[in-house]
Amino acid sequence: MIVAGRRKSIAFFIALGAGLILVTLLLYIGWVLLNWKNGILIFFSVLLVMLIISGVVLNTIFLVREIRRNAQHDAFINAVTHELKTPVTSIRLYLETLQTRAVDDEKRRDFYRIMLADSDRLLSTIEQVLRTGRVGHSARVLNRSAIDLDQLIETCLDRVRKVHHVDPDSIEFKPGPPATVFGDPDEVSAAVSNLVDNAVKYSGERVHVRVETENLEGKFACVRVIDHGPGVPKPELKRIFKRFYRVPGPQSTRVKGTGLGLYIVRSVAKRHGGRAWAESEGPGQGSTFVLQLPLAKTNGTERQS
Amino acid sequence: MNKVLIVEDEQHLADGLRFNLEAEGYHVDVADSGESAQELLKKSLPDIVVLDVMLPGKDGFSVMSEMRTAGQFVPTLMLTARGRPDDVLKGFAAGADDYLTKPFELSILLARIRGLLRRREWLRSSPPAPADHDRFVFGDKSVEFEIPRLRVGDQVFPLTLMEANVLRYLIRHEGKAVSRKKMLEEVWNLHEDTDTRAIDNFIVRLRRYIEDDPARPRHLVTVRGVGYRFIAHPA
Repeated sequence: MIVAGRRKSIAFFIALGAGLILVTLLLYIGWVLLNWKNGILIFFSVLLVMLIISGVVLNTIFLVREIRRNAQHDAFINAVTHELKTPVTSIRLYLETLQTRAVDDEKRRDFYRIMLADSDRLLSTIEQVLRTGRVGHSARVLNRSAIDLDQLIETCLDRVRKVHHVDPDSIEFKPGPPATVFGDPDEVSAAVSNLVDNAVKYSGERVHVRVETENLEGKFACVRVIDHGPGVPKPELKRIFKRFYRVPGPQSTRVKGTGLGLYIVRSVAKRHGGRAWAESEGPGQGSTFVLQLPLAKTNGTERQS
Repeated sequence: MNKVLIVEDEQHLADGLRFNLEAEGYHVDVADSGESAQELLKKSLPDIVVLDVMLPGKDGFSVMSEMRTAGQFVPTLMLTARGRPDDVLKGFAAGADDYLTKPFELSILLARIRGLLRRREWLRSSPPAPADHDRFVFGDKSVEFEIPRLRVGDQVFPLTLMEANVLRYLIRHEGKAVSRKKMLEEVWNLHEDTDTRAIDNFIVRLRRYIEDDPARPRHLVTVRGVGYRFIAHPA
């Protein structure tokens, strides 16, 4: 219902804009027909009408964009509410259960494990939201140091395997030539973790993820995360990196998320002078996410930024 | 033993609820999506449903309103992280009996479930209203609303409660065109943009009983662009 209402208001503003332009043009044509003899007047009037029309067009564009942004913001609030409240609800439920009922030892251990998993989930959502605030400020100084990329990726993979309880073989790592990146280890590992985390989350039941590194002409290190999940439709490949954006459809309700992960990846890449993008042959074909970061100068005398 | 159907896609929550409800002595089924919930509703006929809103596929609101339009009136408690007044109202408009926001207190959830089940028992045990006086006769046909059944000549067709209610509403507005939306609101008590085509199925079934030729209805006439009209004594 809300979506339909929003589409209606977008359509309304576009129609309003088009209507205003039409009325302006008609009035202007009438005016020209009346004053066609005066050359200079006609010239200035053309300029004026152009200005008015471009004003209307710009205004319509901004209105539509604002409506879209509001929609995404609402979706984000909903997603974060869900992601924050669900683990708290679960932890609370188990604590109350332990408090009020006789629970045998085995179940009790089970409950502790579940509560720990939920508190991890809660923490990762909180970190994601806080990190979004941090990476949004490009002025913030990075805490740079030399990072061994392979080692960092291994650590990230271990964590993802543990969090998602997946078979260690379902995430494979094929390191390229050793690479050292000069950057903020915390941010780079957040970016890599987000990519691998997404790949596992969207794969569904059968997880098969490959992570590769590559050296691009001695200037850049590339981290490729390849999954065999649902893939990404072509028109969405760029948009998914926007803040709060999630591809609409059944996938985004099946897989929970805040719409922040890829935004963080892109922001981290930009802050480090690299970039991030996605490749996919389309729905059902799997997808590849690439994080490209500049390599550290080998002599170690990297300038501070 | 009372049967509870939990519709919840978060594994941890579903497990925790199952543990507690089983400890209370209920029989518990769990569905992890809207679609599987609808299947289980038909198959296991629960006494009460605990329904989450954010589900993969069909969300809780549409599961709720589809249940009600299909004539499933099992007491339902909606359980959701969305606690804004809009969402609560939307849940009730869709047909929920109760609404609880996450995080909830376990004891309160259990008390509310007990309350809904108690109400259901009371309704069940209240004596049926005396039959007979509530009937409507037209031509060689008569509707007995309390039973409910329909007599056509010497044939007798049992009606479901919803069929009887639809018929009662149309008869009460005899000769006037009644819109599908109005019927949803008055008969089903649904004030939402639900799919009004569900009504058409009821009409098709009623025509099969009432009309001599269901393909050319004379009593239950379609009013194009509006809905339906009941005519007791067609010319």
